[in-house]
Amino acid sequence: MEETPREKYTEKEKVSVFNNEFLPHINSMYNFGYRLTLDEDDAKDLVQDTYLKAYRFIESFQKGTNAKAWLFRILKNSFINDYRKKSKEPNKVDYQEVESYYNSDDVDRQITTDLRVESLQDMIGDEISNALNSLDVDFRTVIILCDLEGFKYDEMAKILDIPIGTVRSRLHRARNLLKDKLSVYAKKMGYKNP
Amino acid sequence: MSLLDNPFTSPNGKKITCLEMLQAILDGDATEEQQQYFRKHMDECMPCYRSHELDMQIKQLIKSKCCGDHVPPDLVEKIKSQVNSIS
Repeated sequence: MEETPREKYTEKEKVSVFNNEFLPHINSMYNFGYRLTLDEDDAKDLVQDTYLKAYRFIESFQKGTNAKAWLFRILKNSFINDYRKKSKEPNKVDYQEVESYYNSDDVDRQITTDLRVESLQDMIGDEISNALNSLDVDFRTVIILCDLEGFKYDEMAKILDIPIGTVRSRLHRARNLLKDKLSVYAKKMGYKNP
Repeated sequence: MSLLDNPFTSPNGKKITCLEMLQAILDGDATEEQQQYFRKHMDECMPCYRSHELDMQIKQLIKSKCCGDHVPPDLVEKIKSQVNSIS
C-alpha cells in the first residue's frame, strides 16, 4: 500500500469515489479473483476483502489516477498475503516445467512448433480456459492483466511490483507455455504435426 | 514509410529483432507508427506473418472465452453494506 501522498476526503467524497470509481470495476475484479483462485467462493471473499481494504485505505488513492490498476494491486497483494497463506492446498507450481523454460534456449524461439490457426478455430471455450488456468499463477496473471484487461507494461509493473523488463519476459514465457498447452489439446483433437 | 526507417529501433541504434517487434505488438506496447511498420514488414516476412496470426488469435480467444465470469448477484450489495458499517 502506498503511504504518500495522502488525499483528504470528506465522508461524502469517500462514498462518491467508492461508488463511482471503484465499484464499476467489479466485473474485472471478480474475473481476476476467480482466475487467481479458481474457486467462486474464494474469488468472492477475495473481491470483498479487496474492496473493504480499498475503502479503509482510500486516502492512499490519489484522485485522477488509475483506480482499476490500484484495485488490481490490492487484490493481487491480498491474494498473496492472505489467500495463499490460508489456502489448504499450497500453491502448486510445476517447477520442472518452469525451470526447464527458464533454462531452455526455447525461451527465445519465435514460432511455436506445431500449433496452427486451424486447430484453434475448433477449440471451444473450455480448452482455452483450461489451458490458461493450468498455467502457474505468475504466468497466468500476466496474461490476464495484458490480454484480458489491457494493462500496459508500466501498469503491470506497478500492480505486480516487478521491473518492466520482468513483465516483458514473463509475458513472453507465459505466451509460449500457453501455446504448448493449446498444442497438447490440438493433438488430442487429432491435429497432427505438420 | 520506408522499411529502412524502423520506428522500433532504440535510441542507441540497436537493431530490433522480429521477435521483439512481435512482442511489442502483442503486448499492446507498440505505437501507431510501429504498428504500421510491422504491418508492412509482415508482407515480406512470412515467419512474422504466421506468428502474428497465431498469437493474435490466441489473444482474441482468451479475451472472448475467459472473461465474463458472472459476478454473484449479491456481491455488490454485501460490499456496500460492509462499507456502510465501517464508515
